[in-house]
Amino acid sequence: MQKNEIIQKLTLIFRDTFCDPTLDLRDDMTTNDVENWDSLTHMQLITNVENQFGFRFKLKDLNKMKQVGDMITLIESKFDSLTI
Amino acid sequence: MTFSSFNFLLFFPIVVILFNVIPQRGRVWFLLIASYFFYINLMPVFAMLLALVTVSTYLFTRGIANSKSSVGKHRLLVLGIIVIISPLIFFKYFSVVNHVITALLFRCGIHVPLPTISFLQPVGISFYTFMAIGYLIDVYNEEVGFESSIVTVGLFLAFFPILLSGPIERAGNILPQFKKLKRSTDYDLVTGMKMMLWGYFLKLCIADRLGLYVDLTFNNIQTSSGTTLLAASVLFPFQLYADLGGYSLIAIGVARSLGIIVIPNFKRPFFAVSMSELWRRWHMSLIQWLTNYIYTPLSFRLRRWKMGGIVTALMLTFIISGIWHSAELTFFVWGLIQGVFLSIEAVTQKKRTKFKQKFNLNKKPWFILISCVWVFVLFSFSQIFARCGSIGDAFNVLGKILNEHGEIKGISLLIPALFLLSHLLIKDFMDEYFPKKLLLFENKNVIVRHLSYAFILILILTMGVFDSGQFIYFQY
Repeated sequence: MQKNEIIQKLTLIFRDTFCDPTLDLRDDMTTNDVENWDSLTHMQLITNVENQFGFRFKLKDLNKMKQVGDMITLIESKFDSLTI
Repeated sequence: MTFSSFNFLLFFPIVVILFNVIPQRGRVWFLLIASYFFYINLMPVFAMLLALVTVSTYLFTRGIANSKSSVGKHRLLVLGIIVIISPLIFFKYFSVVNHVITALLFRCGIHVPLPTISFLQPVGISFYTFMAIGYLIDVYNEEVGFESSIVTVGLFLAFFPILLSGPIERAGNILPQFKKLKRSTDYDLVTGMKMMLWGYFLKLCIADRLGLYVDLTFNNIQTSSGTTLLAASVLFPFQLYADLGGYSLIAIGVARSLGIIVIPNFKRPFFAVSMSELWRRWHMSLIQWLTNYIYTPLSFRLRRWKMGGIVTALMLTFIISGIWHSAELTFFVWGLIQGVFLSIEAVTQKKRTKFKQKFNLNKKPWFILISCVWVFVLFSFSQIFARCGSIGDAFNVLGKILNEHGEIKGISLLIPALFLLSHLLIKDFMDEYFPKKLLLFENKNVIVRHLSYAFILILILTMGVFDSGQFIYFQY
């Protein structure tokens, strides 16, 4: 899956999870930049991402995602490992 | 030695001066010795327990880092957690387990009185245990590297400013700072001492003044009117905030005077507009720890249950938090209440957000005010269970508040406490909504700054309570 495709899909997931139809993603975006993004909604976000993209994260993956860019890179790597 | 003891007033400047005089390579050793001296001064025997936890942490993290197989790493992690947490469980819950076993045997008709041993709980054991477990898990998750110097690990767990009551630091923040300890700058010293001054004001003036009123009322529930109990229940969260918030600021300030930046513990909690926000502002280092090492792994494993998984993880996390505070049933109920409040927020989050967006409520001052008051009422309600000695007492207090009114007792204690509390509320209000206005400690004008320091110092000396004993969180 291409990076642009991932961002597009991820944007829709973010908008739905955080109830913000105008939300646009940036690589350096963190929990501080998005209203309602806390530890409660974070797990909903993770579940939504898994369901939409069709793979499972590992617990260790969660610690690596400090900002949106990390999440995009991780999703890319998941698809790369599937295609290899 | 504690922050409010006379010995500390001598210890602190000596440590700061010597730290800045000795060469860089000796500073970790120096701080480690100073930290053990600080702890031995308070609890000589239990310094050995701290050393034992340090050695265990060092060996298990080394084992995890060196292990080649993931099964081996996992086994060492589990074993390490068991070894490190055992002393905490032993000291905290031995008498409760003993009591339960005796009661169960009695019910089965077996009258075997088990030997009762009453232990003095080692102060700070919860905090260094949590830090050790956090470090172990972080090494396992490869979030931080294994620290090869046992002296640095020893200092991480024994660092005297945060040893007794936190903030609960993470290895990723503090270990890199210990690796390159520089001399304190003028800015470090001034910033640190400003924090300490405000922290002492919070503790000695606000927490301990409020404590006089709250203790008097809760120790005499039967003879106190509903109105007096209501006042005490409203003031207790402020007492807790000033007590642990004050302690934390002193701790952060002491560390800052040595050029070390420790994570914050409170961020104006009573301006939170939801319970989940309150818990992101209240005892932040503990909540972060619970989130990282209990809530996240639990909710992650239960995520297929969708909202059910989040609710289960929330309930368990806060019940564990309650039981950690105390093995009493009151704290179990306290944790349960927090879990229920947060679960309701989680379940209704989407609907509430859409409703607030529809009427643009987030920007409306009246809505913010109502939300803050509502959150405070819920929090104060839950804290009644934490403050009372038994569930019966808590329901008695609630019953009296709702049904029995009368005049407020102890006005003479209340007025100075409220006068002092108003300083904290005004400062928090300004910091929250007008962060650049009415600066006092941070004012550009040197006269205003020094007058502010002098004013707070005079308040401490004239209105501080100097014989009230320990910080509340020492018991945990």
